Amino acid sequence: MDAADREIFKASLLHAVRGHTGSALDAALDDLGWHEALTLDAETAVSLLFEVQGTASASSSAIGEVLRFALGLDGHHKSDVVLPAFGRWETPGKIVDGSLSVRGLGIVSMGDRPRTLIAATVNDMVAVLDVMAADLVLRHVGGVDPRLGLVQVVGDGVPFNVLTELEPTGWSTAVGVSQLALGHELVGAARTMLELARQHALARIQFGKPISAFQSIRHRLADTLVGIETAESMLRAAWVDQSPVTAGMAKALAGRGARAAARHCQQVLAGIGFTTEHSFHHYVRRVFVLDQLFGTASALTGELGNQLLSSRQLMAMPPL
Amino acid sequence: MELDEYRASLDDWLERNTHVLTPDHDGIGTLDDQMAQLSKVKRLAFEAGWMRWGWPERVGGLGGSILLRAYLGEALTSRDLVEPGIYSMTEVLAPTMIDYAPLDLAASMVPKLLSGEETWCQGFSEPATGSNLAALSCRATRDGDVWRISGQKVWTSLAQYADRCVLLTRTGSSESAHTGITALFVDMGSPGITVRPIETMHGVPEFSEVFFDDVAVPLDRTLGEEGQGWSVAMDLLPFERSTALWHRVAYLHRRLQSLLDVAPAHLLDSVALGEVTQLLYALRARSRATQYRVAAGEKLGPETSIDKVLVASAEQAVFDLVGAGLGEEVIMGDDPSSDRWRREYLYSRAATIYGGTAEIQRNIIARRLLDLGSDR
Ligand SMILES: Cc1cc2nc3c(=O)[nH]c(=O)nc-3n(C[C@H](O)[C@H](O)[C@H](O)COP(=O)(O)OP(=O)(O)OC[C@H]3O[C@@H](n4cnc5c(N)ncnc54)[C@H](O)[C@@H]3O)c2cc1C
Repeated sequence: MDAADREIFKASLLHAVRGHTGSALDAALDDLGWHEALTLDAETAVSLLFEVQGTASASSSAIGEVLRFALGLDGHHKSDVVLPAFGRWETPGKIVDGSLSVRGLGIVSMGDRPRTLIAATVNDMVAVLDVMAADLVLRHVGGVDPRLGLVQVVGDGVPFNVLTELEPTGWSTAVGVSQLALGHELVGAARTMLELARQHALARIQFGKPISAFQSIRHRLADTLVGIETAESMLRAAWVDQSPVTAGMAKALAGRGARAAARHCQQVLAGIGFTTEHSFHHYVRRVFVLDQLFGTASALTGELGNQLLSSRQLMAMPPL
Repeated sequence: MELDEYRASLDDWLERNTHVLTPDHDGIGTLDDQMAQLSKVKRLAFEAGWMRWGWPERVGGLGGSILLRAYLGEALTSRDLVEPGIYSMTEVLAPTMIDYAPLDLAASMVPKLLSGEETWCQGFSEPATGSNLAALSCRATRDGDVWRISGQKVWTSLAQYADRCVLLTRTGSSESAHTGITALFVDMGSPGITVRPIETMHGVPEFSEVFFDDVAVPLDRTLGEEGQGWSVAMDLLPFERSTALWHRVAYLHRRLQSLLDVAPAHLLDSVALGEVTQLLYALRARSRATQYRVAAGEKLGPETSIDKVLVASAEQAVFDLVGAGLGEEVIMGDDPSSDRWRREYLYSRAATIYGGTAEIQRNIIARRLLDLGSDR
């Protein structure tokens, strides 16, 4: 996509996420050709959609679509895709002695269609399975962020058909792309939190001046921006790099940056930010959940550290 | 020359010339050793052309993208051929000369800096003027066809080695703040200049006090116009906070790898290690994007404060990890390797001070990038 097309596409995505959420947003994305864009230019389609979705705290089934695309299963549009379980990044399915158990999550459209796709580990291999939604137990999650439309997916001894077996790195690559999508969403949410806090800081007068004049307020907001830009830089580099390790690093930086944004901006917004009359709380909730999907910042960071401790070898840095 | 070609042929040249380029001294060396090594490497790289790529032809360069010189810095530091701190002075001071010195002055002086023939220093800070740079008081007064300078600078890195100084002086009234500052290019050998080196916490006389007693500087050594010194400084600092730090990232990567090579597993916290690594790679990504923006002709500005906050945090995080993973060496070791770790550990404490403190960077981000208005 060239720069002009990008701008047009971004504007239509922004329009979609501002006007719709949930299955209405899924429909809007269908209409504006987001799926085609995903297959033509994944980086642009994913980074633009997820950033604006985060900015608007809108929700869609797009993360499942990203996982489907990254697993190379574009052809199976008529089924939902099960995401890894809360806080995890292993496959949601596991087959032991021929019996499939499922511990995973779905978003928005989960359960609306008769069939689901589930990646499952069989010994050291990963296969993608076709499973009837009716054979799974679905629980629509209220929880901390009811507007996200999260669904808990559980099943034991579930009947399945094997659709395909993945290359050895297939699953981790797909996890990486999904992590990048979530990273952009976290960055988008953090940018809105920063903007809400910034506007409040300029407007709110205490001790005869706007609170934006107080250095502790300014430095909190500055640190928030540094955290956001740090994550953004790493996300961009990870798209170029295409390695699941860098994608995990980017997701961790985005999760940490967004959690820090939530903390700093909550403090700046103080009382008004603690109400449901102000939109801030939607972002706090969203970031809290998104950090968990496909691995929290702290779990991914610990995992990276452990890998380095055993390999004793840093990855090469992206070349100039 | 394109980056890929430059990279390949430079790597090849470095490989073939390892024997002459490798430092003569053992371990990290004294500052004298490091300065001698820096001059040698710059001279050889200049003669072979490497040090000239990425600089304009009118100042003795061979033209081409600034990415070429960024790669040179990275290649030299990641092979441990130059000490990264003293190497950055070129990347800070040469761009200022190119943008602000009269054409013939830049043409005659910049090659001396690039070729390692000369060392230059940066005289900004004063005893009463650190963060609040606009309050500087080192006075320059016009006297016929010369400026006469009286006053004092402090923390002037490498002043005792320097042949020239990019000096900020007060030429307006003492209340003129940033409108009454003029930048001058001063010969450090001029009568009336006294340099007193100061020993730093990391055991090196890296910076000095510099005293000016009625020092005469020709008018044609003015950088920019009279009263334009603040713009000179504001254009210089973004280089000091971003492009001049590119090779530092390569250095930090190398040292983190050295730490991983030797530190016992039980002394390295995996979360801290993971976090440092993430920070370092994000810094590399950010810094790379900055290099490409400059290469595309963009002017650097307040956004470089983000680069600077990142590099300072990454450097201190790397060496905090060193302090934990190699605590005994850093604290008690007397061998050359321990001495090096200790000096680097201690030096990293300054990363949030030089080039504008961490607080000043946050002030800039708040005011210029977040548009939060005045802090009064
Ligand atoms: C290793 C090293 C090399 C250096 N090399 C050079 C050089 O070559 N040339 C040169 O000119 N200078 C050099 N410096 C000086 C450096 O630029 C100054 O130290 C720096 O600008 C801070 O000034 P200061 O030390 O006077 O601290 P101060 O400005 O006195 O600051 C003291 C503390 O107060 C804080 N503070 C000050 N103002 C504010 C504010 N508005 N808001 C919040 N906090 C504030 C600071 O952040 C700091 O924490 C070097 C310094 C070091 C450590």
